[in-house]
Amino acid sequence: MTPPPGPSSGVPMIRTLTVVSLLCGVLIVVTEVNTRGRIRHNQEIIMQESVAQLLPGIRKQITYAIEPSGDLTILSGVQGEGPRLFAGYDAGGRFLGVVIETSDRGYADVISSLYAYDPDKRAITGFKVVDMKETPGLGNRIGTDPEFAANFKDLDATEGHPITAVKHGAKKNPWEIDAISGATISSRAVGRMLEKGVRSTAPVIARNLDRIKRGE
Amino acid sequence: MSETSAPVSCHAAPASVAIDNPFVNGLWKQNPVFVMVLGMCPTLAITNSVQNAVAMGLATTFVMVCSNGMISLIRKLIPKQVRIATYIAIIATWVTVVDYLVKAISIDVYKALGAYIPLIVSNCLVLERPEAYAGKNPVGKSMLDGLGMGLGFAFALTCLGTVREVLGAGTFLGVPLFGRNFEPWVLFLLPPGGFISLAMWLLTFTLVRERHAKQRRDIQEAAIAQTMEVSS
Repeated sequence: MTPPPGPSSGVPMIRTLTVVSLLCGVLIVVTEVNTRGRIRHNQEIIMQESVAQLLPGIRKQITYAIEPSGDLTILSGVQGEGPRLFAGYDAGGRFLGVVIETSDRGYADVISSLYAYDPDKRAITGFKVVDMKETPGLGNRIGTDPEFAANFKDLDATEGHPITAVKHGAKKNPWEIDAISGATISSRAVGRMLEKGVRSTAPVIARNLDRIKRGE
Repeated sequence: MSETSAPVSCHAAPASVAIDNPFVNGLWKQNPVFVMVLGMCPTLAITNSVQNAVAMGLATTFVMVCSNGMISLIRKLIPKQVRIATYIAIIATWVTVVDYLVKAISIDVYKALGAYIPLIVSNCLVLERPEAYAGKNPVGKSMLDGLGMGLGFAFALTCLGTVREVLGAGTFLGVPLFGRNFEPWVLFLLPPGGFISLAMWLLTFTLVRERHAKQRRDIQEAAIAQTMEVSS
C-alpha cells in the first residue's frame, strides 16, 4: 500500500515566482529606460510630420502652450505638458493656419487627433488621428478612409452650428461629418472631439490671432 | 525529455502529432489555425485586411520565439504547480518589451503594428506552445517551434485576410482590384464574414489533407499487394 502524497512545500514555488517576477520586471525596466529617449524623439518626429501634412507648404513652425488663463506661451520644442497649439508659416513667413490637439472616447479607447484650423475662414481644413485603438478594418478607418478625410477639407466651424457626425450618406450641411458605414461610434467620437476642440480653443486663437500671425 | 507536442488547451486537438522538424510541423502538419484551431480570438478579430493579418502574424511570431526560448532556458527550475503563472508572466513581459522596442526602433513599423501588439496576449496559442513544447525541450528546438508556429499562424491569418479583404472591400493590400462598379460584400469585413471565411478555409485545408492521406494509403496498399503477389 502506497502512502498518500504529502503536502508539497510552497517554498520552491514562491522562490520561482519571485525570481521570475524580478527578472521580468528588470527586463521591462531596462527596455523602458533604454528606449525612452528614442520613443520621445520618434513621437516628436510623428508630431512634426503630422503638422506638416495638415498644413501643406509649411516651412516654419511655432509651438504654443495654451495656459489656463487663455494666454499663449511659446515652447522650445513640440514636447510639453497640457494643451498645445502649433502655428505654421510658409517660406515667406506667411501664416498658414494652426494645428490643435484634441481627443475623445471612441469605441475601444480614447482617440487622440490633430486638426488644422483656419481662423480667418473659421473652418477646419484637415484632420489626422495620432493615436487610437479602434477596431482594425472598421473603426480605424477614421484615420485611413479617403472619403472620410474629404469631410475635413472645409468643415464649417462657426458658432451656432455644432459639428456632428451624421449617418453615412445623410450629410446636408457644411458643418456635418459623413460617418463611415459600420463605424458610427468612432465617427461620432470624431465629431464630438472636433466640436469640443473648436469651442474651447477658437476664442483663445481669436484673442491672440495678431500675435500668432506675427509669429511672436 | 519529451518530443511530443499535443495541444492541451480547450480547443480541438489534432488526430495525430508525429514530430520530426518543429519548424515544418508548425507551418503545416500542426498549423495552429487550420489543424489545431487555436488562437481564434485574433484570427477572427483582425483578419479583415491582409495588412492587419500579416502585422499580427509577425508580431506574434516574435513574441513566441522569445518567450519559448526564455521558458525553455529556465524550464528545469519551474515547479509544475506554478508553471502556467510563470509562463504568463514571461509572455506578458515579452509583449511589453516588443511594444517598447518597435515604438523605439521604427516609426513606420510601429504605425503598422502598434495597434496589434497588445492583442497578442489574448492568443491562447502563445501560452499553449510553452505548455506543450518549450517546457519540455531544449532552447534551440523550442525557439524553432515558436518560429514555425508563429509563421504558420501568420500564413493562416494571411489566407483569411485575403478572402475577407478581396470580397469585403474589393482590394488587396489596399489596391483596388475590380474597378469602381464593384459593390463590396461588406459582410466579409464584419464578424460573420470571419466565421464564413474560416469555415471555408478549414474545409479546404481538411479536404487537401485527407486527399494527401488517401494517396499515401493507396500507395502503401498497392505496395503491399505487389509484395504479396511476388511472394505467392
